[in-house]
Amino acid sequence: MTPKDEMIEKMKRLIITRLKLVEMTPEMIDPEAPLFGEGLGLDSIDALELVLGLEKEFGVMIPDAEVGKKVFQSVRTMAEYVLDHQLKG
Amino acid sequence: MEAKNKIAFCFPGQIQERPILSKYHPLSEDPFFRDWVDRAEKETGIELWKFMNEETEGEQVPLKLQLTTYLFSVIYFQRLLEKGWTPEILTEHSMGIYAALTASEAITFEEGLFITHSIGRLLEEEGALCPGMMASIIGLPLEEIQKIISTLDGYRLAIANYNGSMHFVISGEEEGVQKAMELALARKALSVSKLSFNTALHSPPLSHLRGKIRDLLREIEVRPFRYPILNHWTIQPLNRGEVKDFLSEEIARPVYWVRCVEKCIQEGVRQFVEVGKESTLTKLIRWIDREVEALSAEELLFSGGRDGIL
Repeated sequence: MTPKDEMIEKMKRLIITRLKLVEMTPEMIDPEAPLFGEGLGLDSIDALELVLGLEKEFGVMIPDAEVGKKVFQSVRTMAEYVLDHQLKG
Repeated sequence: MEAKNKIAFCFPGQIQERPILSKYHPLSEDPFFRDWVDRAEKETGIELWKFMNEETEGEQVPLKLQLTTYLFSVIYFQRLLEKGWTPEILTEHSMGIYAALTASEAITFEEGLFITHSIGRLLEEEGALCPGMMASIIGLPLEEIQKIISTLDGYRLAIANYNGSMHFVISGEEEGVQKAMELALARKALSVSKLSFNTALHSPPLSHLRGKIRDLLREIEVRPFRYPILNHWTIQPLNRGEVKDFLSEEIARPVYWVRCVEKCIQEGVRQFVEVGKESTLTKLIRWIDREVEALSAEELLFSGGRDGIL
């Protein structure tokens, strides 16, 4: 498993635990699927929860809405952002 | 309330999206629900079943959303009771008070419908005469929201909902709210979005409607509550004698949702069930306190959530 694949799995678990999606398993989340609207169906309140989760658990900040939109496109984009910013940190 | 594990039922305010009932949704085949929708259509003259089932939403969308919110809340409440859920206390957000009063048996289904429709019409008329707007701002603390509002002094902006430490709804004149949304993004809000209202609900400019609402309520007799309803201004159970004042005042006063949830937790509530079609309150409660359980009726009743309980 590559570091990116590992981070994708971590992001799936973050989504499930932070959003308390008790009925969901990591296998059910497509890393390419949109997080908002169709796809996982998350909304902006969920996004705030994920921002806090990324900050607390990975030390990575989402500074504003513009960055948030890019990061929260999919599980894969979240993983890429965390890997990139953890390295920079 | 004693300090034991308790259940609170939470009645949400106006839903933000039209709840399209797919033919697979259990309510689409529920004769009881259909009967209530028919009764609502007769009472209001508004085609609500079409609104929930057809592609086009037509006109009077905010009013239809208010009525639909009411109908969903009362049917979900009945279904939850049938499944064995019993609340110790009811909480409500904004226009959720109408369904909460019906659930509490303080008013009848028809009276709740009448109030929802009549106040909805008043707000519709107000929106035509004096257009207003509401927007949610997520990701900024209270101090930042207050700074934005004071920067835009002159637009009569107000905080309409205190939904979480980083979640607020502002209300006011259209142009002012638009500017506030821009400022919020510039100050690094995570998201801003316009809500489906055309009036400045929960803000002082609507206080002139209080007399009209009192007149509408004159013939209604408020009966004893079967379940207490928490008043989010006083954080005490609403008295029967306060109901009409509450209904006429609330359109011009903010919703203190955080305070309401915190009071419930302090009094021993550990399970919150959102009695409505969406899960906004469920998510707000999760943000306010991650240790308590927040569940949505839609998930509990129709998506197989908490199989062990139901």
